[in-house]
Amino acid sequence: MSDFMNYLILGVTRGSMYALIALGYTLVYGVLQLINFAHSEVFMSGAFGSFLVVHAVVGDGSSTSGVEAVLVLGLGLVSGALTGAVIAYVLERVAYRPLRKRGAPKLAFLISAIGASFLLSQLFGKLFNRLGNNRFPSYFNADRTLFHVFGARVTLLQVIIVVAALLLMLFLDRLVSGTKLGRGIRATAEDAPTAALMGVDIDRTISRTFIIGGALAGAAGFLFGTAFVFSNTMGFIPGIKAFAAAVLGGIGNIRGAMIGGLLLGIAENLIPTAPWTGTAWIGIQWTDVVAFVILILILVFRPTGILGERLGRAA
Amino acid sequence: MRSTRPAQWVLPLALASALTMTACSNSSDNSKGGGLSGSGGGETYKIAFEGPLSGDNQQLGINEVNAAELAIKQANESGDLGFKLELLRADDQGDPAIAPTAAAQVLQDDAVLGVVGPSFSGATNAVATTYGDADMAIISPSATNDTLSQSNYPTFHRVVPPDGLEGVQLAEFLAGKGYKKVVVIDDLSDYGKGVADIVQGALEKAGVTVQRLGVDAKTTDYGATATTVAGAGADAVFYGGYDAQAGQLARALQTAGFDGDKYTGNGGKSSVFTEGAGDAGDGWYFSCGCSDANTAPAAKDFTAAYKAEFNADPSTYSPEAYDATNAMIEAIKTAAKDGTPTRKAVSDAVDKLDYKGITTQVKFDETGELAESSQVINLFQQEGGVIKILGDIQEQ
Repeated sequence: MSDFMNYLILGVTRGSMYALIALGYTLVYGVLQLINFAHSEVFMSGAFGSFLVVHAVVGDGSSTSGVEAVLVLGLGLVSGALTGAVIAYVLERVAYRPLRKRGAPKLAFLISAIGASFLLSQLFGKLFNRLGNNRFPSYFNADRTLFHVFGARVTLLQVIIVVAALLLMLFLDRLVSGTKLGRGIRATAEDAPTAALMGVDIDRTISRTFIIGGALAGAAGFLFGTAFVFSNTMGFIPGIKAFAAAVLGGIGNIRGAMIGGLLLGIAENLIPTAPWTGTAWIGIQWTDVVAFVILILILVFRPTGILGERLGRAA
Repeated sequence: MRSTRPAQWVLPLALASALTMTACSNSSDNSKGGGLSGSGGGETYKIAFEGPLSGDNQQLGINEVNAAELAIKQANESGDLGFKLELLRADDQGDPAIAPTAAAQVLQDDAVLGVVGPSFSGATNAVATTYGDADMAIISPSATNDTLSQSNYPTFHRVVPPDGLEGVQLAEFLAGKGYKKVVVIDDLSDYGKGVADIVQGALEKAGVTVQRLGVDAKTTDYGATATTVAGAGADAVFYGGYDAQAGQLARALQTAGFDGDKYTGNGGKSSVFTEGAGDAGDGWYFSCGCSDANTAPAAKDFTAAYKAEFNADPSTYSPEAYDATNAMIEAIKTAAKDGTPTRKAVSDAVDKLDYKGITTQVKFDETGELAESSQVINLFQQEGGVIKILGDIQEQ
């Protein structure tokens, strides 16, 4: 039982980060019917941006007190989100908007996204020496055991990640369903020309959608970097997984992305390690295979994902 | 068909000339360490270095190319060459797909008489035949895959022992420690899987229970892996893979509370590991067919000169690259005794070398491996964030 819970906790932690990234894919798909393949680099830049801020504030982190650590965590989240938002905004202005204005075919956006993705990844590699394993300073004891669930240890960091991710998702859900901006996003997703006739500024709405998605991914970059390591190539695997999670939940569907992310994280931790004691039946080397087999199976039986592709609706 | 012929030639020609231009500009960049200073001889010959000088694996290539540059500079300054030497840098990013381009750049330059490198096994596999066809001697300071010396590459040599030897000796060491159960993890790469297979085989032969796991090197979350290891009730864990991933595994194992002994091979031993793992890396053991330039007595002068030149400590495989370059210089000297040296003459001279380097006696058998007596595997351990040498693994 304790091993099962252990893997479940790991899955929820990883899944909530997938969900945060997946939201960016789904939001942009909602308004543009475009997969922003450079989104994984927005996630990556959030980790670097927040690192610069956190590092500047706490140095090597050894002399940070408890209250300060909480503040630094908040600061890290905000700076990660800000970096992600700025990069996503610039990305939209430079890589997508010029194409949109010229009515370029969808394929052109894809190429533009791949180019932007390479550029960002290599740029951060150049700036940060391509180290494969940058770490945040340890300004709090991330491994501290907070409590046990059925014998499984839950660490402080795991709680921070899950709580932060849930708060951000709740915030987004409110934003999209309850504010004027959210209404604009939903209207644009449903029918952009009509929305424009009704007074929605399409360009601004699209721009803000990128900013919101970028902020979530940037915050996820901070959480991910704090939990593991960060590098200029860190975006690739989580990016692909998050994209899969978005499709799993129903692309364009915000709650679908959240559920898809959590489900994927949990499934890829639990299924290959079953029966959770002794030697696993297939082993963790099958993690990625399991993730994508699930994706394929769900798409075979529910081609629009778990919650369905509901463009233009918050839920 | 005929009409397309000119076009077929234009592209390779343009590429070739572009490559030559890159080669020229590269070598003039490096004239600081190349042949401008020192000896008054007439001819200028080049030694090429092929390895990762950009991209995600650049650190290893930089460790090596600096040592090569130093060796060439010292040879020029010694004044007894009778010719000038220059270094040609060929960047293959450690990538088998890019290595052929780097090799073409090297072969284009008629002044190049020998190659130090390639650094990586995969890249070596991709170009060893090309170099062999051109009679170009290659001495790799760090390509350790077993198959390289079994593939009949006519001009391949290396100054490090193959993974097989390292794996076998490490496994014997592990078996001798009295472990009951060991978890063996590999990163699904040629190198990682190869060395993990050897360790697993030798451990099982010694009656140790082995649980085998595989984790793709691109994985960024080692939580599930570490939980599995911690729950396996093992006395030790061996990771076959590279430094960055080993560092992440080290941290995850610490989080998961695994308290057994931790081992990895030469791929994990670097500053990338120590920086990534932090204090979670303390206590980790490393086996490596390499020596520690900062402690080996024969390497003292080298370490001092390296530090003076590059303002950094020599790191993993720097001493080996220094030896490989000096061995190549010896061979060129031998070949130059009978008039103008050719690639073929240098290659023959490399085969007959018997040169005392700072890490080993450079003397090759017909497959390009070092003579068995010079193949020493050392054991290292991280203490207080620094990797320290413990000595020959067979004596530990």
